[in-house]
Amino acid sequence: MSDREEDKKAGGTREVHLELLVGKAVRDPNDKRVGLIEEVLAEEQHGEWVVKEYLIGAAALLERLSAWPVGRGILGLIRKKEYPGYRVPWDKLDLSDPGRPRLTCAVEELEKFAPR
Amino acid sequence: MDEEPLDLIKDVLDNQLVDLHGRRMGKADGIIIELRKDGPPRVAYIEVGGPTLAARLHPRIGKWATSLAKRFGVGAEAYRIPWSKLKSVGIDIVVLVDAEKTPVLAFEQWLREHVVSRIPGGKT
Amino acid sequence: MKKALSIALGILTSIGGFLDVGAIATAAQAGAAFGFQLIWALLLGTLCVIFLVEMSGRLAAVSGHTLADAVRERFGFRFYFLQYVIEIIVDFLVLGAEIGGVCIALQLVTGISFQWWALPVAFVLWLLLWKGTFGLIENGVALLGLVTLVFVVAVVMLKPDWPAVMSGALPSLSRHDTAHYLFIAVSIIGALVSPYLFFFYSSGAVEEKWDKSYIGPNRAIAVIGMGFGSVVSLGVLITSAIVLFPKGIQVESYDQAALALVAPLGFLGFVLFAVSLGITCFGAAMEVGLDQAFITAQAFGWNWSESQKPAKEARFSLIYTVMIFLSALLMVAGIDPLQLTLFTMALTATILPVVIVPFLVLMNDEKYVGKFRNGIISNTVVVLIIGLAFVLAVVAIPLEVLGGS
Repeated sequence: MSDREEDKKAGGTREVHLELLVGKAVRDPNDKRVGLIEEVLAEEQHGEWVVKEYLIGAAALLERLSAWPVGRGILGLIRKKEYPGYRVPWDKLDLSDPGRPRLTCAVEELEKFAPR
Repeated sequence: MDEEPLDLIKDVLDNQLVDLHGRRMGKADGIIIELRKDGPPRVAYIEVGGPTLAARLHPRIGKWATSLAKRFGVGAEAYRIPWSKLKSVGIDIVVLVDAEKTPVLAFEQWLREHVVSRIPGGKT
Repeated sequence: MKKALSIALGILTSIGGFLDVGAIATAAQAGAAFGFQLIWALLLGTLCVIFLVEMSGRLAAVSGHTLADAVRERFGFRFYFLQYVIEIIVDFLVLGAEIGGVCIALQLVTGISFQWWALPVAFVLWLLLWKGTFGLIENGVALLGLVTLVFVVAVVMLKPDWPAVMSGALPSLSRHDTAHYLFIAVSIIGALVSPYLFFFYSSGAVEEKWDKSYIGPNRAIAVIGMGFGSVVSLGVLITSAIVLFPKGIQVESYDQAALALVAPLGFLGFVLFAVSLGITCFGAAMEVGLDQAFITAQAFGWNWSESQKPAKEARFSLIYTVMIFLSALLMVAGIDPLQLTLFTMALTATILPVVIVPFLVLMNDEKYVGKFRNGIISNTVVVLIIGLAFVLAVVAIPLEVLGGS
């Protein structure tokens, strides 16, 4: 996509396509893969909608697809505990290159995310 | 809209868009956020259109579709609906826009006038 | 009262959706080649389709989503696009086979080759959809479809050996021609569990604005409608098994299948076979043609409706117009309708997982179906049958293609 051209138009602000961000691997400051972006949470602040946090990891995907009940319901295919997932606050994810999203903090600082 | 955080991917992306008259006007093919220096990213637009979808299949298909759309002009290019025009997010996303007046239905209108109405029984 | 009527019509039309060229052709083949031995495949297919039709109605009634809408929404455009392309290809072949069924029926009655009928049949199909009278026609076709009860009548007249029939209900391997046996078993399941049915049925339910009060009626429609269709298919299989199997007549064309009704009913049986084939295939062809337009419109969020004027939904109308014409070309080209049918039905079995697995995920998602989500029984039954059909298809199709030609 012509993300970069659009940046110049917007002047100062940068645009990111969320639909293309989904499924991108997030790396930590040491270039280690943490997980894939699966969900983006938004909330209303002072009359406008803003991004609150990003959910990454297999747990977030399973949550998004609501795949728990089927997996459990059929054959116990999916065991609940083994899947990592994290909540990344908006200011802890560097999107200056949307193709390579990067954490600005250590993984240990992130809140764990567990599906229902 | 309510106070709960909104799951943008699960609850907005790929949902049906309906205009203020209840007319279906495409799906939420893309969501655009604006990164800002001094605050959280702003949820800016919902995008509708072939090029947006094509880019999701593969970047190269996306580029090809975007250049193709430029040649066809209005209606083929992606159309942006400002987030502030969203009225509600439920089974469908209701937006405060008149679909018939947007380029989203340009091809539909062209087909209606040039093809369908020329076939007997096609008119209203 | 209005609801009672709509339930009655729902049952009728779901019979129409169940009985089509695939159901008749595969049942006739099975009976002729293997006697009662494949009845189990028909029963498994019926059980599976009852569960799945019920689910697609329940999804629509509780969530207000059609199956296609829900899949794109939940699994994203990339996955939906894959499913969509596969479904369009299979629908294209199925529609060709259904149009072929109507053409063969006309050939049986008039003696004029089916190829000549393809375009006229396609034109009439298109005209009825274009005129926007689908509901009316659908109900008419469904009522006329009751003529297929002739197969049940024939079974009664032929006085089958019931214990032998029952023994076919238990799965067993054939002593001869195992590859062909499995291929036909797969075709039967593929013919009954047609993905278009679920997309179509859920679209109809959303269009009629079903709500939670339809959950009960929906169950009745699924069980009675599919059950009735199954009884007729069993009738086809049993008559073929009694009449054709002992004489060693393999059904290689539809006129041979018609012989199954000639034995008990004479020339009338021949005519009724042609009429049954023609009507069921015509009804199914309308549904498949509309289904292609439904899933396309729902892929991209266009207006769609069974009964709007084309001007209100130009793109939607264009899709079925083009697809009906393209599918008719398969018949114009002279592809054998029976071979096309059997091949397409077996192919359907291989694509079932792509359609059914996401469907099951949705049916377990509280966000879509709330407390009306699937129980462990419906999940397990559907997964096992679809899994079995898929495995058999992967094994049997290559064997059939290698050995059959």
